[in-house]
Amino acid sequence: MTPLEIKGAVAGVITSVFILVATFTAGGIYRNHIERETESGNRPLDAAHLAARGRSFFFQSCAHCHGQDADGGEDGPSLLKLQISGAHMALVIQSGIKDEMPSFAKKYNAQDTAAIVAYLKTLH
Amino acid sequence: MIPWDKLHGAMTHFPIALLLFSTACDFVSVAFKKLTFARGLRLVSFYGLAAAALASLGAVVSGIALTKGDMWGRGDFGWHHRFVWPAFSLLVALAVWRLVVRDAMSRTGLCLYLILMLLASGFVAAAGYFGGELLLSGGSVP
Repeated sequence: MTPLEIKGAVAGVITSVFILVATFTAGGIYRNHIERETESGNRPLDAAHLAARGRSFFFQSCAHCHGQDADGGEDGPSLLKLQISGAHMALVIQSGIKDEMPSFAKKYNAQDTAAIVAYLKTLH
Repeated sequence: MIPWDKLHGAMTHFPIALLLFSTACDFVSVAFKKLTFARGLRLVSFYGLAAAALASLGAVVSGIALTKGDMWGRGDFGWHHRFVWPAFSLLVALAVWRLVVRDAMSRTGLCLYLILMLLASGFVAAAGYFGGELLLSGGSVP
C-alpha cells in the first residue's frame, strides 16, 4: 500500500471511531434523558394511573384480537409473556404488522401508546 | 410530533441503495478494461459512496430517535443493530479513505477496498433485512 493509502486508512479509522463514539454517547445521553423524564413524570401513583389508562385503551382496541385477559384470542397472540423492550412494543403498536395487525399511529399518540405499553408491562 | 418511524423507513433506503450501487460500480469498473468507461464508473461509485455515508447519518439519527436511544436490544431488534453499527463504521471509514485516496489506488489498496466494500454491503443488506423483519413481522424474540 502507498503512503497516501495508509494516510487515508488512518483518517478513515479515526473518523469512523470518532463518529461511532459520538453516536453511542449521544444515544446514551438521549436514553438517560428519556428515562429521567419518565421517572420524574411517572412516580408510583402516576405509573398506576398510566397503566390504568393503557388498560382502557387495551380494551377499546386490542382485546377483541388478543383476548380480554391478553392471553391470546382467535386473531391475535398472547401478550402475557412478551420479551421485547417497551420501545419495541411502542414501535409495533405505532407501525402495525403487515397483513397481521393494523397500525394504531392515527388513533393513539406517543403518550397513549406509552400508556398501553405500561399496561402490557404489568401483565408480565 | 415528528413521525420518526416513517422518517427512518424513508431515510434508510438511501444509504442501502447507494452503497450497493457504489459497490456494483466498483466491481464493474474493475471487470471492464476500457479505461474511460472504468474511470466514469469509479467516479460514480465515489460520489455514490460519499452520498451513502452522508445519508447514513440521517438514517442513524432517525433510528436513535425512533428507539429512544436503545442502541442494542434483543431478537430482530438486536440483530438489526449488530449489523447496523459495523456497516455504519465501515461505510464512514471507506468514504473517508476514498476521499483521501481518490483514484490513486495501488493494486493491494484496490483489492482491500473492494473486499471491505463487499463486507459493508453485506452488513447493510443484513441490517436492512432485520429492520424489515421488525416492521413486517413485528420482530422475533430469542
